[in-house]
Amino acid sequence: MIMSEPVPIVDSNTPAGMLEGDLVKRARRGDLEAYDELVKRYQQRIYATIYHMTSNHEDANDIAQDSFIKAYSALKSFKGGSTFYTWLYRIAVNRTINFLKQRKNKHHFSLNDLDFNTENNPDLVALISDKTPVREVGLTELQKKLNEALMKLSEPHRMVVVLHDVQGQSHEEIAEIMDCNIGTVRSRLFYARQQLQGFLSEYAKLT
Amino acid sequence: MNQNEQNFDALKKLLKLKQHEVPPPGYYNNFSGQVISRIRAGEANYAQSMTERLQTEAPWLVSLFRVFEARPGLIGAFATSLCLLLVGVVVFSERSEQASKNLIAISEPTAPTGNVAVATLSAAPIVAATDNSNSGIVASTNPVTSLQPTATLFGQSGGSTLFQPAGFMQSAH
Repeated sequence: MIMSEPVPIVDSNTPAGMLEGDLVKRARRGDLEAYDELVKRYQQRIYATIYHMTSNHEDANDIAQDSFIKAYSALKSFKGGSTFYTWLYRIAVNRTINFLKQRKNKHHFSLNDLDFNTENNPDLVALISDKTPVREVGLTELQKKLNEALMKLSEPHRMVVVLHDVQGQSHEEIAEIMDCNIGTVRSRLFYARQQLQGFLSEYAKLT
Repeated sequence: MNQNEQNFDALKKLLKLKQHEVPPPGYYNNFSGQVISRIRAGEANYAQSMTERLQTEAPWLVSLFRVFEARPGLIGAFATSLCLLLVGVVVFSERSEQASKNLIAISEPTAPTGNVAVATLSAAPIVAATDNSNSGIVASTNPVTSLQPTATLFGQSGGSTLFQPAGFMQSAH
């Protein structure tokens, strides 16, 4: 006898069981409970994108919160031409880029810890296990070097790498979020990868 | 392009390292609560800033409210004076209306004569226009409006006819 896994019962009348569109409608009417649910749905992705752009937990926390607050106050202007998720992402991306432009080159790293699965990731272990001709570095040092290399890229190039190679977004989604065409996304991605490869070849076996 | 994609495979694997960077434990449990608290605080601040704005832009209103707070009895006196003012305005406007009606009544006997004159003046161009129906439009040389009282046939000034009608006629080309 095959035992099926228990399916969580979701009440469609509670915010957790509601569709995004319904939550947005309720939030537009000032329902903070509905907006709380929207925040919970997208907080991880929004925070992670900003964190990978800034390499600083505190900055990412501030910008992520500001983005959600800005989105709430601007909800009335949300026409529904794109999904709420894309619209929210656009707000977060613009705020992050503005923040980085103001901060210019004053990078202050406040890196998050690597989770316990990192050392079990065979791809990552393979990258650092071959000590010749690559310099011997541990995962934590590699993490630092990777963040330093990312910070050397321009904001648009870094954003494309973060959204595509780290967050797994499609070219089409990135084009919509960054308000540019797909060709631009592809060319930025290629150029950014080339640069990263040059910056990191000393520390990881990348070719 | 395919060659390039292959060249970047190792880099893409390395970039996956970023996915393992996680915020402190429990961070996401409090995140939405903090956002909602800040939204609530912002709304409260907005209401407070409205009060502050009122204080800077209309300080007399704020001091008036303070006086009322200190002496609630003044509210009744203030309300009564406002009502009296309102009644006064209504009475005054009714009186001035009555006075203007009286003035019209005094000047009314001359009005029919003036009106006939006006009718005669305005009729002429229209007749002319019907006579030359195939010709172009020519404006009358009479002014469109005049603030001067119109002269009547009997040399009386028409008190109620402070206008002169415009007439248009068609002229032949």
